[in-house]
Amino acid sequence: MISGITAAACVLGMALTPRAAAMISDEDFNALKSAVTNQDQRIGQLEKLHEQDQQTHQQDQQTIQQLQQRLGETQTLATNAAEKADAAALAQATPPRSALHNVSMVGDAEVQFGQAKGQNSGLVLADFAPIFLYRANDNILFEAGFDVMLQNGSASGTNAVTLAPYTHDAGSSTTVSLSFAQLDYLLNDYVTVVAGYMLLPLGTYSERGAGWLNKIPDDPLPVDFLPGAGAGVQLRGAMPVGVSGQMLTYSVYGVNGPSSVDGSANATTLDGNGNSIPNLDLGGNVGLLNSGNNANLNNKPSGGGRIGWFYPWQAHYDVELGVSGQSGTWAGNYLWSALVVDAAVHISPYVEVKGEYINTWQQTADVGNIQPSGWWVQGSYKLAGLNLDAPVVNDLEMVGRYDTANDAQGSTTDRYTAGLVYYLTNTLLLEGDYEWLINHGLNANGLPSSQFIVQLSYGF
Amino acid sequence: MRSTLINKRLAVLAGALALAGLCLSVVLAHAEPEKKAEQKPAPKKLTGAELYAINCNRCHPERYATEFTAAQWQTIMTHMRVRANLPPAQAREILKFLKEDAGS
Repeated sequence: MISGITAAACVLGMALTPRAAAMISDEDFNALKSAVTNQDQRIGQLEKLHEQDQQTHQQDQQTIQQLQQRLGETQTLATNAAEKADAAALAQATPPRSALHNVSMVGDAEVQFGQAKGQNSGLVLADFAPIFLYRANDNILFEAGFDVMLQNGSASGTNAVTLAPYTHDAGSSTTVSLSFAQLDYLLNDYVTVVAGYMLLPLGTYSERGAGWLNKIPDDPLPVDFLPGAGAGVQLRGAMPVGVSGQMLTYSVYGVNGPSSVDGSANATTLDGNGNSIPNLDLGGNVGLLNSGNNANLNNKPSGGGRIGWFYPWQAHYDVELGVSGQSGTWAGNYLWSALVVDAAVHISPYVEVKGEYINTWQQTADVGNIQPSGWWVQGSYKLAGLNLDAPVVNDLEMVGRYDTANDAQGSTTDRYTAGLVYYLTNTLLLEGDYEWLINHGLNANGLPSSQFIVQLSYGF
Repeated sequence: MRSTLINKRLAVLAGALALAGLCLSVVLAHAEPEKKAEQKPAPKKLTGAELYAINCNRCHPERYATEFTAAQWQTIMTHMRVRANLPPAQAREILKFLKEDAGS
């Protein structure tokens, strides 16, 4: 059976093959082959084109993504700009309001190293003087200044070996004193009302002699004859003259006034160690008695004031003159008065000369009228004026002062001071000076004949 | 001995005075002469910076505006207006000048 089928298939195949061979000729085959070849080539080209299209498509996709990203950023910028514009419009419509109240602290601190002739050298925290400023509004300011100092304490007793009594420096104490505490009320453009424990405008040193403002570490001798502050009330103000900066200033005040140490009107009294000291008390009589009552220790309060004239012919070229005084009782009906003439000149940013003449009158019960008086003059020159273009030199300032004081009780002291100031910054000063003192008369007042002081002073 | 000490100190004082005189002469030599204008120009209103240089620098070294905030400057200028007895218009101009570059 299988053989038969196979034979039939062979016969069939032999019969069909001649028919297929008879249908496709060589020419047709070649044509077909050529066509297929052409198709292959065409397909290849199309595939390449497709591949290129794919690449182009990918690039287009990347470009689209970048554009979309930029569009997003632009939209964000536009949104921010719109928000800012809204905020600005809102701010313009309702301007920001500054707080009315403000508390600030300024002041200065000094550290000294010095040696007086005949004594050991020593380091000292000379002063820490903060000033608290409390502004209630545009017209009201409360300000208070303190002096914090560290000082040796004192011990007294009997020497265990010699059995001799002694009084000697021992321990230390911190002294906090109130320099001033005053309420300032700016009544109008010409009058400011000041009340409290005020710095007094006798001369200008008390108001402008803060530690870091003074180019010499210690105060001029004759300012000790004046009260630096007093409890009272004051009116002060300034009137401009023209538009060039010229002005007239005034201050008028009433205070409790000076008082007596022992209550008498004698010129001197004795302290606890039996030493003679002036009986005039310039730093007390603040109104609150030891008994707790409010009272003036004198029969009448004192009054005083200052008139000043300031004329600048250009920036850093100016002159200021002032006359000030105070008068009142200090013990009973005995009068105490003071007159101060002050002057200051600036010639260029480099040269300053200033000084004061101080004269006081004191009626006493035992020695009649006495006139403690003195004067001082100080000059300084900033070496930057030499135009040397040297960094250290440009920050140096030479300063010299002469001051003299006659206590009207037999003693006069003359002092010559030569110093140098180095400005480490605009408010950090390294000052050094050497002082020669000459004491005349009966009372040597305890000052050494010479001393040097180096001070680091910082204003904040 | 005492006269020698006095002579020494007088010599030092004389030297100091001579040095001061030398410095003053140097300053005056550098000082700009007053403009001899045939026609005086009308005085112009001083700016805050000029008022600051005129009033503030005569007592203390310059304080930079960036040392304090605007609110602190307002408080400090109130204090300085009282202490230095400044006319209020000048104080306001100086405050405006300081506030422009105040710290934050």
